[in-house]
Amino acid sequence: MALLVLIGIASVYSATYDAGASQYFNRQVIWAGAGFLLMIAIWLLPFRTLQMISYPAYAVSIVMLIAVLVAGKTVAGTKSWFGFGGFGLQPSEFVKITTLMALASYLSYRQLDRDRLGEIAATFGIVLLPFGLIVLQPDMGTAVIFLGALFLILTWAGAPVFLLLAVVAPAAAAVATLFNTTAFVIVITATLALLFIMRTNRLLSSMVFSLTVLVGVSVQYLFNQLAPYQQKRILTFLNPDADPLGAGYNVIQSKIAIGSGGIFGKGFLHGTQTQLNFLPAQWTDFIYCVPSEEFGFAGALLVLALLTALLLRGVQLASMVKSRFSSLLAIGIVSVLTIHVIINIGMVMGIMPVIGVPLPFLSYGGSSLLTSMIMAGILLNLHRNRKEY
Amino acid sequence: MTDLNLLARRRNFFYVFVVLVALVYIFRLIQLQVVYEDDYGKRSDENSLRAVVRNPLRGYIYDRNRRLIVDNRPSYTVTVTPAEFDPSRLKYLADILNVDSAVIAARIQKGLSSNRFTPVRVMRDVDFPTLAFLEEHRDRLPGVEYLVESKRFYPTNAHAAHLFGYTTEVSDAQIQAMPDEYKSGDLIGAAGLESNYERFLRGKKGYSFITVNARGESQGQYNNGLSDIAVTEGDDLYLNLDAGLQAVAESLMADKRGAVVAVDPSTGGVLAIVSKPDYDLTLLGGVTPADLWAKLNNDPAKPLFNRATMTRYPPGSTIKMMLATAALEDNVVSPSWGVNCTGVFQFGNRLFKDLHVHGPTGFMESIQRSCNVFYYQLMLKVGLERWNRYGKEFGFGSPTGIDILEENSGLLPSSQYFDRVYGKGRWTQGYLVSLAIGQGELGVSPLQMACYAAAIANRGYWHTPKVVGKIRVKESGTWIDNQVETRRIEAGDNVWRIIRESMDRCVNSPGGTAPQAAVPGIRVAGKTGTAQNSKIKDHAWFIGFAPVDDPQIAIAVLVENSGVALYRKVPDREDHAAGGVRPAGGRGPGHLRGGGLRWNRRSIISARGSTVSTGPRGSTRSSPAAWRSWS
Repeated sequence: MALLVLIGIASVYSATYDAGASQYFNRQVIWAGAGFLLMIAIWLLPFRTLQMISYPAYAVSIVMLIAVLVAGKTVAGTKSWFGFGGFGLQPSEFVKITTLMALASYLSYRQLDRDRLGEIAATFGIVLLPFGLIVLQPDMGTAVIFLGALFLILTWAGAPVFLLLAVVAPAAAAVATLFNTTAFVIVITATLALLFIMRTNRLLSSMVFSLTVLVGVSVQYLFNQLAPYQQKRILTFLNPDADPLGAGYNVIQSKIAIGSGGIFGKGFLHGTQTQLNFLPAQWTDFIYCVPSEEFGFAGALLVLALLTALLLRGVQLASMVKSRFSSLLAIGIVSVLTIHVIINIGMVMGIMPVIGVPLPFLSYGGSSLLTSMIMAGILLNLHRNRKEY
Repeated sequence: MTDLNLLARRRNFFYVFVVLVALVYIFRLIQLQVVYEDDYGKRSDENSLRAVVRNPLRGYIYDRNRRLIVDNRPSYTVTVTPAEFDPSRLKYLADILNVDSAVIAARIQKGLSSNRFTPVRVMRDVDFPTLAFLEEHRDRLPGVEYLVESKRFYPTNAHAAHLFGYTTEVSDAQIQAMPDEYKSGDLIGAAGLESNYERFLRGKKGYSFITVNARGESQGQYNNGLSDIAVTEGDDLYLNLDAGLQAVAESLMADKRGAVVAVDPSTGGVLAIVSKPDYDLTLLGGVTPADLWAKLNNDPAKPLFNRATMTRYPPGSTIKMMLATAALEDNVVSPSWGVNCTGVFQFGNRLFKDLHVHGPTGFMESIQRSCNVFYYQLMLKVGLERWNRYGKEFGFGSPTGIDILEENSGLLPSSQYFDRVYGKGRWTQGYLVSLAIGQGELGVSPLQMACYAAAIANRGYWHTPKVVGKIRVKESGTWIDNQVETRRIEAGDNVWRIIRESMDRCVNSPGGTAPQAAVPGIRVAGKTGTAQNSKIKDHAWFIGFAPVDDPQIAIAVLVENSGVALYRKVPDREDHAAGGVRPAGGRGPGHLRGGGLRWNRRSIISARGSTVSTGPRGSTRSSPAAWRSWS
C-alpha cells in the first residue's frame, strides 16, 4: 500500500515535471504525509469507536454535501469543492466513507429479508441520499461508484448474487455490444464464468445467460434503428475515436501513452506523452498513463498487481473478521476501491466510458488521497480488532 | 447451507470478480503495450516530433571566368497560419501587401485544406518598409508572420533572361510526382538553365527534428540534433558563357529584335546567347502576378520567346557554304566550275533575280560576293537528296541538343516533305531554286547557324552546343564535366580551304559583302544573309568566325526587320569579335588576372581590366560566394 502511494507520488512528480505544475507535486507529498498520519491514528482507534461515530459522521457529511451545493466552488462545471485558502476539499470523497460506515452500521444488526420492505428501503435510502446530492453537483463518476458499491455490499450482506448478476450482466452486455464485438464477447464470457462458479440451478443460469446475449443482440438491433445523429451521440460517448478532437481526445492520447510505453517503457521522466502535456491534467484521472508510459508493461502490471493484491487482502479481511459491522465496512471499502480501479483504469485503456474518477492512492488530489488513506486506516483498524465481536 | 458456507461462497465470488477484472485489464495492457506497441509508438512520435524543413540555397551560376552571374539574396516572405488568422483582417492585410484580397484568400484556403497549423506563404519578396509596417501592426494581424528565404539576384550586366530562366512555385501535380523533393510553396525551375538543371540547382532539403508539446510549442531539439538531416546546398553551375561578351552583345542588341549566339568552335561551348527583346528576370522568380504574365504574353514583340533557339527563319545566303560543300565533296562539279552571272536566272517560265551582275563567277567569288545565279545552277546539279543530306550533317532540321529545354528543330525540306505538303509529283525542281539561296521553306535558328559557322571554322567538327561547362557537386565536392559531343562532317581539306578562304575574302577582300565585319588586328571570316520576309522588312543574318588561322569564336547574328542592308548590324558583330577574341600577336592588359589565365579569350570589358558589373542595379562587389572557388 505504501508502495502504491510512493508510485503515485513518483507518477505525480513525473506528470507535473516541467509541466509548469510542480506545486501539485509538493502538495501531493504534503497530503500523503498527512494521510499517513491520519491512517496511523485511525489504525489505533478503539474498536467500537468506528461504529459509534458512524451515524454522526454520516449526518455531518450529508450536511456538508448540502452546504457545498449552496456555497461550493464550481470547478470544471461541477459544484463539489470547498475552498480553504489554497486548498480545496471535496466532501463527496469523504461521504463515501461515512456512507459505508452508516450502511455497515445499519445492516450489522439486520438481516435483509424480502418481508421487511421498510428495512430494504432504509438501506437504499442511506446510499441514495448522498447519491442524489452528488448527482445534483453533478458528479457522475462518484455517483456511479455509490451505486456500484451498493450492489456489491448488498451481495455481501446476503442478497442473492445470482439476482444481482441477472440485473448487471444484461446491462453490461447492452453497453458492451455498442462498444465493440470484443467487449461484448468479454462480457458474455465473464457472465458464463460467473454463472459456472455459482453453480446455481442450471435452468436459471441458462436463462440469465440467454437474457444477457439477447439484450446484447437486441440493443445492437435497436441501435441500428436510430437516426444517425442519435447513433453518433451514443457512439462518441462509448467510442471516443469517433470524435478525435472533442471528447475522445483524452482517451486517444491516454491509449497512445500506454501503448507507446511498450514492455519496459520510455524511462522515468522520458514519457513524451506525459512530459509534453498531450494528456491534459495527466496528474489526476489519467495518472495510470504515467507509469504505463514511462515504465511500460512492467510498470503498469506492477501497479495493477498491487491494487489487486490490496483488494484481495480486503476481501480476505472481510471474510475473517468476527464482527458483522467490520465485515460489511471492510467489503464496502473494497467495493468502492474496486469500482474506482475498474472505471479509472478501464477508462484510460479505452474500454470504459470517460467518467471522471480518480485512481485510489495514485491520482493527485488531497481529498481523494486522504479518503484512500483513511480507508486503508480503517482496514488496518479492522484487522487489528479482527477477533472482536 | 451453513452460514460459514455462505460466507465462503461470497468471499470466493469477490475473489473471482477482482481477479477476473485484473485479468481482463492485463489482457488489455498486453494488447496495447505489446501487440500494438509499434502502432502507438509511432502515433506518440507523430504527436511529439516535428520535422522543421531547412530549405537549401539554389546553386550559384558562374561564367567561364568564374564570375558569379546568378546569386542568391535574402528575401522576405509573408506567411499566414490559417488556424490563427482572423478572416476579418483579410482586407487589411491585402491592403498592406498591395494585392487583391482574393489572392490571399485563395492561398489561405489552400492551406486550410492541408494543415491549418502550417504557415502558408501568401506573398514573396516583400520590401522592407512593408515588412516593418506589418511588424508594427502584428497585434492586429494574428497568425501573420514572415520568413527569410532567398531569391535570385543577377549581379552583372549579363542578364541572359532566356538562358538563365526563372523559377515558379511548384504545382500540385509536380509535388505529387516528386513528394520527397518538393513541398507546397517550394520553387522549381520553369525555364532555361533553372529548369534544365533543376535537379542539380535545387539541392537537398535538410530536416531538424524538434519535440513539441500539445500546444505545438517547441521543446528543443530531438536527440540533441543527432537525428537531424543536414541540408545540402544546390550544386553550382560553371558555364562556358563569357559574361563580359554576353553583356556587350546584349547592350548592342538593346533596341533591336533578334538574337546573337557565339560558340567556341573547339568545344561547342556557348560563349554568349542573346535574345531581344527580353524581360526582367527579377520580376518572375516566385509567383508572377497575372497582369504581368498577361503583359508579357500579349506583347507583340514576344519578349518571352527565345529567338536564339526558337525562331525558324530562312537563313538566306549564309546557307550557300553548305551547298558548296556538298557539291565539292561529292565531286558534283570540279572546284574550277563556274557560271557567267547575268544578274538573272530563268527556270521554266520563272525569272530568279540576283542583286548584281557578277559576271564570270567561281566558288570563291560566289561566296565572297554572294552570287545567287551560281547557286541556282549548282543546286540543280547537286539535287535535293544530297543537299538535304549535307544539311543534316551541318545540324539543320533537328534540335542541336543544347542544354536548355526551349529549342526548335527548324525545317530542312526533303523530297518526302514536299511530297507530303504538295503531293507526290506536284512539286518541281523550281522549288529547289529558292532553297539554293536559303529562302523558301528552309527554317533555321541562330543557334543552329552558330554551330554551322563553328563547324566550318574548325573544318568539319560539329559540336553539340553546351551552356554548362561543369557542375560543382556540393554533397561530394566533386566536379561533373559536361562532355564535349562531336560529330565529324566528312569533307576534304581542299573543300574546307575553299569555303573558309571565300568567307575570309567576303570580309577582307574588295568586292566582299561584309567589309564592315573586319576588325583591326583580328582576321575575321564571315558571310551575310537576308531572310526574305513577305510581311515587313527582311531579316538580316551574319555568321562568321575569328581568327581565321586559329578560330576561337564562331557567331551567328540575326536582326529582324532590318532590311537587306547589313550596315545596321555590322557594328554588333564587330564589337563582339573585338571583345571576344584576343588580338593576334598581342596580349590584353587583363591577361594576367586570376582565373582568366586559363582562357586566352577575353571580353572587351575584362580585357580592359574592369569588372563586368556596370549597370544601375548592381554594385561592382560580388557576393563573397563568388570568390569562394578562388581560394
